[in-house]
Amino acid sequence: MTEPLTSPARPILSIEGLSKQFGDHTAVDDVSLDVRPGEVVAIIGPSGSGKSTLLRCINLLESPTTGRITVGGIPTEVDGKVSQRELVALRRKVGMVFQSFNLFPHLTVLRNISLPQERVLGRSRAEADARSMALLEQVGLASKASSHPPRCSGGQQQRVAIARALALDPSVMLFDEPTSALDPELGLEVLSVMRQLADEGMTMIVVTHEIHFASDVADRLIVMADGRIIEQGDPKTVIDDPQVERTRTFLSAIRDR
Amino acid sequence: MDHLGVVLGGVPTTLLVTATCFGVGAVLGLVLVTGRRSGSVVVRGLSRTIIDLLRGIPPIVFLFIVFFGIGSGAIRLSPFVAAVIGLGLISAAHLAEIYRGSLLAVHRGQFEAAQALGLGRVTTYTRVVGPQAVRVAIPGMVTWAISLLKDSALVSTIGVAEIMSVTNQDARSSGSSLTPFVIAAAIYIALGSPLAYLSRYLERKLSLKGAR
Ligand SMILES: Nc1ncnc2c1ncn2[C@@H]1O[C@H](COP(=O)(O)OP(=O)(O)O)[C@@H](O)[C@H]1O
Ligand SMILES: [Mg+2]
Repeated sequence: MTEPLTSPARPILSIEGLSKQFGDHTAVDDVSLDVRPGEVVAIIGPSGSGKSTLLRCINLLESPTTGRITVGGIPTEVDGKVSQRELVALRRKVGMVFQSFNLFPHLTVLRNISLPQERVLGRSRAEADARSMALLEQVGLASKASSHPPRCSGGQQQRVAIARALALDPSVMLFDEPTSALDPELGLEVLSVMRQLADEGMTMIVVTHEIHFASDVADRLIVMADGRIIEQGDPKTVIDDPQVERTRTFLSAIRDR
Repeated sequence: MDHLGVVLGGVPTTLLVTATCFGVGAVLGLVLVTGRRSGSVVVRGLSRTIIDLLRGIPPIVFLFIVFFGIGSGAIRLSPFVAAVIGLGLISAAHLAEIYRGSLLAVHRGQFEAAQALGLGRVTTYTRVVGPQAVRVAIPGMVTWAISLLKDSALVSTIGVAEIMSVTNQDARSSGSSLTPFVIAAAIYIALGSPLAYLSRYLERKLSLKGAR
């Protein structure tokens, strides 16, 4: 940690010794991870290996049992109580996209994206709407601005959810199986938006079973099992030549589907 | 022999008691449900106990406690105020449970999305979860309003001059019991049916707007 503050190599997100216990079950077990600005990290691993819990700990949807999370140089000790101010500060820098979209069904697509900007960043309605429209344009959904989410397809909803998170100008975007609830062709339109985002230099952590996306777009692939990182490295290398037996078994299992 | 005219004379008071108790209950119910969902175990337990007590005591017993027990001691309560306190608190407990159920019906992901976006607790409830919960709560709330309209007859026992009270007097003074009470029954039904209609109308309208 001797690099100067401005060094581009300095991680934008740093997780140190993060653990999460549910009762006596350890869902995330002493995970450490540094993510460089603009890096795309894909996480794969069998169901129940702690991928979601890890993501949810990063923005404190779950309070970790121990660990330290540093976003943009500001560390948050997460063992013990996290103050409301730290919580808000951390979440402001981290955007999250859920498997089940979680758009607000009673608000129009535009309001879904504008309301958080007004409430969290204090933007005026006009500023917020302008930003929302620009983002909707970017995800190809400008025409849906005044629709309600239940009137949109799953793929459209997920793209709106991505726009909603981006509107708060996060430093890091977390994706928890963003295409798992979607038919393959709808998943593709979401993946293409994510690919575009990666090309624009967004820092992303993506939990996914889309092995093609992981190998084409990610800079690093992490394999989790039993709450731990069991293997990581260049995606193509890990996929073509896994070093750990469990990685091999898992990869062949998802290839067979 | 104008039974109808006499019984109708109680309608404004019945409506006033019902509406006031409902209003008091709707607001205090919010306080109770907030307590019920508080982060503090003590506040949660206390709110739960209050709700259980208010729902467990027969309304007439509670009214007597408020009016004869409390209202005739150190503080004097008029029959109307005692009625509003009594039925208002009971309404608060029932409405709190209706609110609670409707909040539970909102998908957990809605809270999580709001949290992940960094929305505060107040914004989460007023702008995200509340509007969705209201749609679920409305039928139950209107059902409670109808029960309350009928239960307001109980306050005749502490001397509020509403439908039941004036009907009772009319029956005694005229010597004819059946006609006045049948008229009273018909009036309660007539007053309640718009509420039932309203419930169905709102349900339809809100579900269209929400486009669920
Ligand atoms: N809220 C919770 N309470 C108890 N156990 C949980 C909770 N959330 C997750 N777990 C457990 O933690 C482990 C990791 O879950 P999760 O992070 O969802 O895995 P993944 O996303 O990799 O499928 C699982 O064994 C799961 O049952
Ligand atoms: Mg998961």
